[in-house]
Amino acid sequence: MKKVATPEYDIKDKLKYHVSALSTAAKEVVLPLNITTHYPRERKKMPDCFRGYILFDPERCISCFECSFVCPANAIWMKEAPSGRYYPTLDYGKCIFCHFCVDTCPGGALKQTKIHDVAYKDMDEMFTLTEEMIEPPEIIREDEGYVEYEIDKEDLSLKRTKGIDKLIVDVAPSQGVPMVSLCVEPESCLGCGICEGMCESGAVSSLKEDGMVRMKIDVDKCTGCGLCVKECSMQILRLVRK
Amino acid sequence: MAAIGVSEWEVKIPEKPQKDKLYFENLKAKVIDTNLCSRCLTCACVCPVDGIIATDGVEFPNYEEECTDCGACVRVCPRFVYEPKSGMGDYIEFIAGRSKRFKGQDGAMATELIVSAMEMGMIDRGLFVGRDEQWVTEIFHVRDPEQLEVLPLGGTKYTFASVLPELKKAARFTKKGVGIVGTPCMVSGVRKLQQEFPFFRERIKLVVGLFCTENFHHDELTKYLKEKGVDFSKLIKTDITMGKFIATMTDGEVKFKVKALEEILPSGCNVCTDFTAVESDASVGSVGSAAGFSTVAVREENAKKIIDFIKKKGYADFGEADPAQLDFLIGHKKKREENIKRD
Repeated sequence: MKKVATPEYDIKDKLKYHVSALSTAAKEVVLPLNITTHYPRERKKMPDCFRGYILFDPERCISCFECSFVCPANAIWMKEAPSGRYYPTLDYGKCIFCHFCVDTCPGGALKQTKIHDVAYKDMDEMFTLTEEMIEPPEIIREDEGYVEYEIDKEDLSLKRTKGIDKLIVDVAPSQGVPMVSLCVEPESCLGCGICEGMCESGAVSSLKEDGMVRMKIDVDKCTGCGLCVKECSMQILRLVRK
Repeated sequence: MAAIGVSEWEVKIPEKPQKDKLYFENLKAKVIDTNLCSRCLTCACVCPVDGIIATDGVEFPNYEEECTDCGACVRVCPRFVYEPKSGMGDYIEFIAGRSKRFKGQDGAMATELIVSAMEMGMIDRGLFVGRDEQWVTEIFHVRDPEQLEVLPLGGTKYTFASVLPELKKAARFTKKGVGIVGTPCMVSGVRKLQQEFPFFRERIKLVVGLFCTENFHHDELTKYLKEKGVDFSKLIKTDITMGKFIATMTDGEVKFKVKALEEILPSGCNVCTDFTAVESDASVGSVGSAAGFSTVAVREENAKKIIDFIKKKGYADFGEADPAQLDFLIGHKKKREENIKRD
């Protein structure tokens, strides 16, 4: 059997460790270190890319359904607005805050905020309608300052600043990866013009001439939403990088 | 920009005989209303809005609003410009076969060809026609030979099946290719699709044709058979042999002369002269071989490869087939040329 004994220190080491312990205690008496954020009186300052509550701008939305397709939690449901357009609604009971929808939105209609503390009374209330996504939610702010963590090589320290942190981010909306729709098999095109009907930005055009249909995708106008790609009955359109 | 794809292209559209009307109206006037339509549903396969449906005939309800007037239906219709095919057609090999693995109408060689092609890796999807208890046809996408053990497939139904509308779906999702079994009119439709669109040319790898004298509307055939005393809950198989329609049930048979069925013969079949599916990769049928065997006319190289594969694996017994036995029915269908009205 292997016996585990207490390590043996010589007197020099023992003295060194005692002095170190005493000095830490003395330091705490004079300058106490507190690494806990005193929420809600103060907030942690989040980076601009923080994945919080999602805001929606109907002006920028092209109703491409991309957000609802990409959502891994199936939290986004497209609802018909009185105008006939489809806009997203978001169920925060399902949302996992991955912000894939924000990243994928070709028009930048969805926008991230740093709000992470919205309270709901029940599950039904967590289902957020389009109208409720336009303005940031009402939250009671009790904070008077914000804290930032500074991580040194050895130690963690806190930087407290007075003032209210802005939770709405002023970064430019995500443009996603610039994509454009192109035809990969022009010989198989029916010339049905469904793609033209689907296109919200007017990038696709078909011109009927004598015995011929001229199809054109305006590369500059195309937002890369992929609606035409999805609807093409022959599946001959592809999204490619601009 | 990436080299893949183009942003500008041109599509050739066919000429309209009646300029002021939609393409579908032209098709309706020239093919459907003149009783030329064989109900092969190639038009429904290609229609971009999936508007064309099969009821008693071929229809496009609400076409005034939905039709995009692309002309694809006219481009692929094998009878818009009708060039009737007839005769035996070219073949490399003419043999009789009986599958050891599957049960079907005779030797189940159509099923065997598709499944073997799947095992060879030539195709990864086969379109099969099944039926329910009331003998209503259903289409199944078979992606694994094991599916055939549980699905009610194989055997002739003698009623129209909407196979081709499913073909576009199959062609969309396939990785290797699609195999399809069809009547001569459907084979002509598939060939037309392949001729017009590379999309189908690249994806449809095997077309098995069936020997076909005629096909019936489900409602009319079931009504007729019920009058003759056929109980559908007991019906096992239907067959046409030696000029007689035989319905085999669990407790006996009902036989009558095929000629009696002429009163319900669909108009599209009345103008069809193709008995052997001349344009197929391989034609399969009952006539020309001993009972329990299917006659196989191997026409193209891809079908020849499959037959060689079946021989190598020993999936089927092979025997002699006699092309001369088909002459009567080929001649019988050739006579229908008279029924085609020429402008």
